[in-house]
Amino acid sequence: MAYMLNVGAHHSEANVEVHKFYSGTIVGTALLALVFQAFLHKYGRWSELIDLPLLVTIYFGVSRRNPVSGLFLGGAIGILQDALSHDNPIGMYGIAKTIVGYLASSVGARIDTEHPLSRFGLIFLFFHFHQAILGVTQRVLLNHVAPLFTLRLFIDSLVTAAFGVILFALLDRLRRTS
Amino acid sequence: MIDTISRHRPLALLATVVLAQVLLLAFQIKRVNSVRLIRYWAVELMTPLERAGTWTFSHVGGVWSGYVGLRNTRAENERLRGEVDTLRLRNRELESHAAEAQRLSTLLNFHEAHTEAPMLAAEVIGASADPTSHTLFINRGERDHLRRNMGVITPDGVVGKIVEVFPSTAQVLLINDKDSGVGALFASSRTHGVVKGSGDPEPHMEYVINEEKLQSGDAIVTSGEDRIFPKDLLIGTVDVAKPGNPFQAISVRPAARLDRLEDVIVLLSQQELVPKKTEAAEPSDSTAAQSGEQSAAPQAPKSSGVVTDPSKLKPAAAPTRPVPTANNSPAAKSPAPR
Repeated sequence: MAYMLNVGAHHSEANVEVHKFYSGTIVGTALLALVFQAFLHKYGRWSELIDLPLLVTIYFGVSRRNPVSGLFLGGAIGILQDALSHDNPIGMYGIAKTIVGYLASSVGARIDTEHPLSRFGLIFLFFHFHQAILGVTQRVLLNHVAPLFTLRLFIDSLVTAAFGVILFALLDRLRRTS
Repeated sequence: MIDTISRHRPLALLATVVLAQVLLLAFQIKRVNSVRLIRYWAVELMTPLERAGTWTFSHVGGVWSGYVGLRNTRAENERLRGEVDTLRLRNRELESHAAEAQRLSTLLNFHEAHTEAPMLAAEVIGASADPTSHTLFINRGERDHLRRNMGVITPDGVVGKIVEVFPSTAQVLLINDKDSGVGALFASSRTHGVVKGSGDPEPHMEYVINEEKLQSGDAIVTSGEDRIFPKDLLIGTVDVAKPGNPFQAISVRPAARLDRLEDVIVLLSQQELVPKKTEAAEPSDSTAAQSGEQSAAPQAPKSSGVVTDPSKLKPAAAPTRPVPTANNSPAAKSPAPR
């Protein structure tokens, strides 16, 4: 199901679609992403290339196009991700994914997020933005200097973006049709 | 403010959630010495405020206490000033009493040294209003049996004589008044003359020939010829002696402080003052030894000495001879021929 959202008086003609999902879809998908992220981690470092919770946060953010629900969803996923990690203080991923969820919702209300290329670009940018927030948080709070940009991160972002385009297409099937 | 928050509700929520997670992180993260980051932040946040508060309170308190202290100091200062004024007044009173006691002690000593001569202590109560007239008033008068031409002295020397007597006061003509004259002689040479006032602070000794060898400081005593003062009372000393025509011009420095008299002695007779003790009235001793003829001068009958109660004074204490007035006195009006 989709309906049109009027984003403001100045952009009355710029109507965008707001997608709805079956009940429990968002929570279930988020939990599944966290479980898979933890499960795949056991089978090698290749799983570190993909950040499934980040992709779920971005997807539901740009689909719901509601900044409030986007930031809460991102915050919840991030805090759960911190809780499942063995050495991260609670809030590291929480802060990063809260901001990403908010921005994804805001961006999703303004630009087309249905095209695969735009999705690839969004995921790529949000990946690095997410890493930047993590790096700054670690520097400020933990006194730990983490690199903000490396080749490894660049490759990770490309892999995550490519995987995200596929994942987003699969998740599109969970949308409620009107 | 509330409208702004409502308008930017998602952004406000974002800030709130992020801040909550930052605090959550700060609660978990530990810095050096295992101090939690949130405590570190709290201390860092509160310390400047506490410091500012302490600074403010200490300065405000300092200013306040300084103000209160200043007010107390001012009040105390005023109280102490008043106390100082009172003590100054009291000190002046005591000094005055001490000076009076000293004067009275001197008079008493003088009385005790001359118990053979009747005399009466008197207090100076006023002076002449005429600046050219050197007179003063004493607190003794007719009721105290004072009469004109009685001699007035101090332990230091001759002061003058009584010229007017009133019921309770008397007027004294000082020896430096221009109408005054005292029969005098030099203690060393026994040369006679007359000490006369000229209106100046210092009287002059007249009728002393130019051949007389004088030095500054030579003592001048009464000769007794004026029938007012007993013989050999110190009048003063030679200040300046210059040759003149036909007599020397001799300026006399009075022995008594004529400008600051407070207590005087009135001689009730011309009884010669012979001190009982050797240290008193040296000129008297020396002159008495040198001149036997003057010791034979007529003297008033001896009385009981110091008169403390004027009512007990007997007329017999008065001079036995008729007392000439100041202006009619032979010693005052005419030079003593030699």
